[in-house]
Amino acid sequence: MDGLVIRDLSKTYYDIYAGEHVAAVEGVSLEIGVGEFVAILGPSGCGKTTLLNMVAGFIPPTHGEILLNGRRILGPGPDRGVVFQSFALFPWKTVLDNVGFGLKMRGVPREERDRVAREYIALVGLEGFEHRYPHELSGGMQQRVGVARVLANHPDLMLMDEPFASVDAQTRMTLQEELTRIWEARQPTILFVTHDVEEAVFLANRVTVLTPRPGRVRETVAVDLPRPRTWRHLIEDPVFKGLVARVLALVRTPAA
Amino acid sequence: MKRPVLRALRWFPGHPALAGAGPFVLLVAVWALVVELEIYPRAFFPGPLDVLRVFGSLVYKGILPTYLQDSVTRLAVGAAAGMVVGIPLGLLIGLHPASYRFFWPLIIFFQAIGDIAWLPILLIWFGFTLTTMTFVIVYTVIFPMIFNAALGVRTVPVEMVRAAQSLGASRWRILAEVLIPGALPNIITGLRNGLGYGWRALIAAEIIVGTSGIGFMMFDARRSGSVVEMILGMIVLGILWYVVDAGILRPAERVTIERWGLVRQAP
Amino acid sequence: MTARSRLGAAVWFAAPFVVLVLAWSAAVELYDVPLRVFPRPADVIQALAQQARTGALGNHIWQSLRRVLVGTTLAVVTSIPLGVVISTNRYVAALSAPVLRFFSVLAGIAWIPLATLWFGYGFGAITFIIFNAVFFIVLYNTILGVTGIPQALRDAARSLGASRGQVVTEVLLPGALPNIVTGIRTGMGFAWRGLIAAEIIATNAGLGYMLFLARDFYRTEVIVLGMILIGAIWVLIDRLILVPIERRTVERWGLARSAG
Repeated sequence: MDGLVIRDLSKTYYDIYAGEHVAAVEGVSLEIGVGEFVAILGPSGCGKTTLLNMVAGFIPPTHGEILLNGRRILGPGPDRGVVFQSFALFPWKTVLDNVGFGLKMRGVPREERDRVAREYIALVGLEGFEHRYPHELSGGMQQRVGVARVLANHPDLMLMDEPFASVDAQTRMTLQEELTRIWEARQPTILFVTHDVEEAVFLANRVTVLTPRPGRVRETVAVDLPRPRTWRHLIEDPVFKGLVARVLALVRTPAA
Repeated sequence: MKRPVLRALRWFPGHPALAGAGPFVLLVAVWALVVELEIYPRAFFPGPLDVLRVFGSLVYKGILPTYLQDSVTRLAVGAAAGMVVGIPLGLLIGLHPASYRFFWPLIIFFQAIGDIAWLPILLIWFGFTLTTMTFVIVYTVIFPMIFNAALGVRTVPVEMVRAAQSLGASRWRILAEVLIPGALPNIITGLRNGLGYGWRALIAAEIIVGTSGIGFMMFDARRSGSVVEMILGMIVLGILWYVVDAGILRPAERVTIERWGLVRQAP
Repeated sequence: MTARSRLGAAVWFAAPFVVLVLAWSAAVELYDVPLRVFPRPADVIQALAQQARTGALGNHIWQSLRRVLVGTTLAVVTSIPLGVVISTNRYVAALSAPVLRFFSVLAGIAWIPLATLWFGYGFGAITFIIFNAVFFIVLYNTILGVTGIPQALRDAARSLGASRGQVVTEVLLPGALPNIVTGIRTGMGFAWRGLIAAEIIATNAGLGYMLFLARDFYRTEVIVLGMILIGAIWVLIDRLILVPIERRTVERWGLARSAG
């Protein structure tokens, strides 16, 4: 099957302070089809970031398997691009070089690389900032670079780890609309981790709620809101508000 | 009386060039005054003019320039060797937490021994030669470099490494594109510290072993009781360090670290 | 930290040295190195026993430690107040900064010729060298610490009725304490190294002196013993005394990441 398949995934740590094994994630199964936008939602400490790190290949699972396009995931790779909460831009590279990094790793020659990079820089609305350094940009702009950097590499799957948690509320709303716009235009496959219920419902077409530690799939809610989505329209929309309430209830009340 | 003085003093913080030179001018003036008042016997505490006079004569005789050249060359050679060995070693040690944990006590221990404590055994092996001096300088330069390079590699944020991984970078690419630039601020700090130590080691080595150089000149002056030469030597050292710091290290930092916004103004 | 993990840490710390000593023994044996060039570990241990028995070793160690203690105390007592003044008074700061920077790099070593002239050989000159080494570092760190305290904290104290002096004792000094402690630790490191150099040149007792005396008689086992002691004593002082102090001030108040 094409897309992401997570089967019975678990991750256990040995906690030296508690002196026992602790399960961060337990028995999670999930499927994401090509071009889908799935949000993983849950309270702090529910293991959602651990889940994302396993899919990204940064940490190995204790049990279960992860398949992308039919192949097992064995470690990090350019087929799974990651957008980090802390942006993780390379401070010694310009915006242009940051966005072109993945291409450089693949050996794409400079001219082609820069051309593609400029395209994605324009896509995220940062035209004119190609030769700036990350520290000269605001948080919101830096994250746009982070998104462009991943997109420019054409990954099969885009992983986003609470990417807008480090920016202020208004910038966040702008970035959310940008991301939606980009998704609506390009349809990348996205796995989006967040703790913000409204954000999840706004962006995704499916929201998977995890239980608090150990993280298990509680329920998945389909989000059938029409696109394009903007805050202006949705903020008063009863369907949106109903979905948010429903998801919020799932997050906040303990599982039966 | 107070107001105009205060107003004049207020000038200094605002004008960088003046702020740099001003206090020195004041210091020299105070120095000259103290000497004139003969608070200490002239033989023990000479004045700026005396020092200037000796400076002139030594330059004329060609002694000072030669000594200066010797000292600087030794330091340059030692520093270069220290960098070439120390930085890669430090990077290597810092790459893996286990290797860092293993080597770190050794580094601390050998750094604690210090360069001078090696002199007796070095003198037995190599005698009063250039080899001994070079060893001492390299030894002092190497430890800050190793330590700081290792620290630099270790403190590169893990997310940056992960970002590179998720963009398809191989192990070597990560080292070259992420770890080394990321470690650069610390490497330069290591370089600054290393050079500082190297200077001191150089002077000590010249005092104990030397046949030429500024350190030697100062110690020789001690023997002949020429306080002026001692003070001159100290002043030359101070100026030289200032030059190295302002002329080499600070520009290096500005072009890399400050441009990348990794550290605000270096002190 | 549990006792078990402390034991683990100690083992990890000792492990590389064990490897080193083993490699040392092997190298000396393999290459048939004569005592004149480098001693075996056994020779060094013998020298240790012998020196300890005559009490000479104890005296040397005590002399060295004494100088470090006195020099450090003097330096700390003078540099901290000066640091506070420089940090709080713009004019003093502007006047003294470049001058201090200039003198700070004049290594203690460079002062030796002058110091011996002014203070004579022995305790005075060496203590001066140590003072010099510690003074500037602690001064710099004090300034760094005090100026790093957010103005908001000072304002808060004033608006709660603190006098100028109280701001210093209740806000500035505690706030700068982590930096000051780090400075003292670093300074003592420099001082220890400077001490050895000074003892070689300017006195007749102490570890540095013992080292150089042994050289005259080609007694490499005493030299190596001295080197090991110099290294080990500092590591012990640093790790067992200074680092815990640093850790307690720095980490307790959550003011910085963990001390190295």
